[in-house]
Amino acid sequence: MLSRTRALQHTLAMLLGIAATTALGAPPAGTLRVTATVYPIAYFAERIGGPAVAVGFPIPADVDPPFWQPGIPDIIALQKADLILLNGADLEKWRARATLPQMKLVDTSAGFKGRLIVVDNAVTHSHGPGGQHTHSGTAYTTWLDLELAGQQADAAGQAMRRKRPTLATRFNTNLDALKTDLATLDRELKTIAAEKPGLPLLGSHPIYQYLARRYGLNLQSVHWEPNEMPPETEWVALKQLLARHPARTMIWEAEPSLAIAGRLVKLGVHSLVFNPCGNRPADGDFLSVMRTNVENLRTAYRH
Amino acid sequence: MRHDFYLAWRYLRHHRARSLILIASLGLLITLPLALHRILDAGEALMTARAASTPLLVGARGSALDLTLSALYFNAAHPPMIRMAEAERVAATGWAEALPIYSRFRVRGQPLVGVTLDYFDFRQLKPVAGAPLAMLGDCVLGAEAAAKLGLEPGDPLLTTPENLFDLAGIYPLKLHVAGILGRSHTPDDEAVFIDLQTAWVIEGLGHGHTAVADGGRMTPRIAAVPATNIQVDQTKLLTYTEITPENVGSFHFHGDPATYPITAVIAVPPDQRATTLLRGRYLAPLNSVQIVDPAATTQSLLQNIFRVGALFDGVLLLVGIATLLIVALVFALSLRLRQREIDTIVLLGCSRLTVLRLAAAELVLIAIASSGLCLLLLALVRHQSMELVRHFVIP
Repeated sequence: MLSRTRALQHTLAMLLGIAATTALGAPPAGTLRVTATVYPIAYFAERIGGPAVAVGFPIPADVDPPFWQPGIPDIIALQKADLILLNGADLEKWRARATLPQMKLVDTSAGFKGRLIVVDNAVTHSHGPGGQHTHSGTAYTTWLDLELAGQQADAAGQAMRRKRPTLATRFNTNLDALKTDLATLDRELKTIAAEKPGLPLLGSHPIYQYLARRYGLNLQSVHWEPNEMPPETEWVALKQLLARHPARTMIWEAEPSLAIAGRLVKLGVHSLVFNPCGNRPADGDFLSVMRTNVENLRTAYRH
Repeated sequence: MRHDFYLAWRYLRHHRARSLILIASLGLLITLPLALHRILDAGEALMTARAASTPLLVGARGSALDLTLSALYFNAAHPPMIRMAEAERVAATGWAEALPIYSRFRVRGQPLVGVTLDYFDFRQLKPVAGAPLAMLGDCVLGAEAAAKLGLEPGDPLLTTPENLFDLAGIYPLKLHVAGILGRSHTPDDEAVFIDLQTAWVIEGLGHGHTAVADGGRMTPRIAAVPATNIQVDQTKLLTYTEITPENVGSFHFHGDPATYPITAVIAVPPDQRATTLLRGRYLAPLNSVQIVDPAATTQSLLQNIFRVGALFDGVLLLVGIATLLIVALVFALSLRLRQREIDTIVLLGCSRLTVLRLAAAELVLIAIASSGLCLLLLALVRHQSMELVRHFVIP
């Protein structure tokens, strides 16, 4: 019965895939179809490819890409792409369980494997519907180091050029413009961080490893969620942490609830949003979100 | 003339047994060399086409022929293994696309072949029923394999344990038939294809975790989930592994995938320059890996087969001459035995020429019947040529 259900799932997935590609906004024939598994890479592909490339991003808006579990329809849709751009750095843990065409897969962080950050002794915690999880293994928010992000854009551009050599010149021009934007932000972040070297900061979640390393941030992380009031034990632990790491700012993935932010203020800690932008933002794009992040960080460093 | 044939026909019918023996002997005599050549031609076409469509093969150093037969026909019993890193090495050169193959297992007599999805594009294999591979534990069947195993999409297929007496061995994996491939008239028709990662689960390199009956503790084992297996689980005697939508999330691999085993890599360079450059990478005599040109290897195998074919031709020629002499002798002796009958015909007023015409008519009828038998047998051979090739030409 289970197998029949699975076969039915396969068949339905195929039919949905066909319907999706034939009726619902299918790209014109000959268009390079690129799918990315994390938003920053999808954004890079959109910038590099322009209108000549149809970029897909299959992860729902309310799902954090590292915790996405693709179903059979998602995998069949991925199989139909001409190019599948992965972030790598162990972000796509589902990859070992899905059958994908190796020749279409591009690990955009493969070029700096030696510079990936390995997280040891991570705490297992839970929040949201995803249940318990841990951030042990390899840190995956590589794009928060904008120099590494540039390398990932390079890898995406190279793969796209290989698939469409006739568009190489256009891709190169677009890639150069993108890398200029990333380099500008990179310089700004470096300048901001250089204003107060060693300034103690708190991270609400252990996802800022690459940001901290690249820009020399003195960052210690807790495991908090913006919309979930941490238990008392966490507040006690925070006070102990503040005793040895006197931070005045906590960096959040999203705006924390008023209750959390208010209680933090009482401890002398202000909240700052640095959105990692792993998923597609409701407004703007990767660059605009990063610009906002830079401005937020600038404000924190000036106070 | 019509009467001659009528009389000859009546005579042959009267001596049925002798006539049939003559027809069968002559029929087989003509059929044998023609059928042999037909099978050799079909074998040559099959092997040449398969080899020509496979630019280069990378595998463990040793017999180039074994590597070719293992990667192209999946029929080697224990092909030597190389590491997945070799596929990555080929791809990293940028001179060729790399298609890893793992063809060590068999399932109910059919080859169980681990490939990546690119293999199906490369061989232009598409499912005519069901869907392509999508999840760990899926399999797609070649047309012939599906017919022989009597399976269709949605059916389960339990892999064959390697050794029944290996109590510490790997449990069979219950595969899910995702689709049936269209007939390609190649060895792919006989194969059961799985994703390389599924092959590594069978190998024991990947496993899932499941909550067993002792309070839901997660046990690192490849455990079967269905209710029917709970009793088995409690008694610590699992009979098979199954990857289900419920436990697929817990499946993972340990170690560096670059060290995982494969049996060959199909390298697909875009042009002759890339082919030459890639081959140059494997010239070192101490290299534990070799690169072979399947077309050249197959050609050398075919030359051997044709040498054997020429020997057969020679033997058949001698046997044919001997058989014709025996037939001539039988005919001459039969004429002697029929002397009284011939005398009667002459006494009835027929000339010696009429007697000769009667004998010739008998010979013509026997030749026609033998030719008919030969055509029938050749049609049969033509129909079964691929099967015969697989049994007799491709080892």
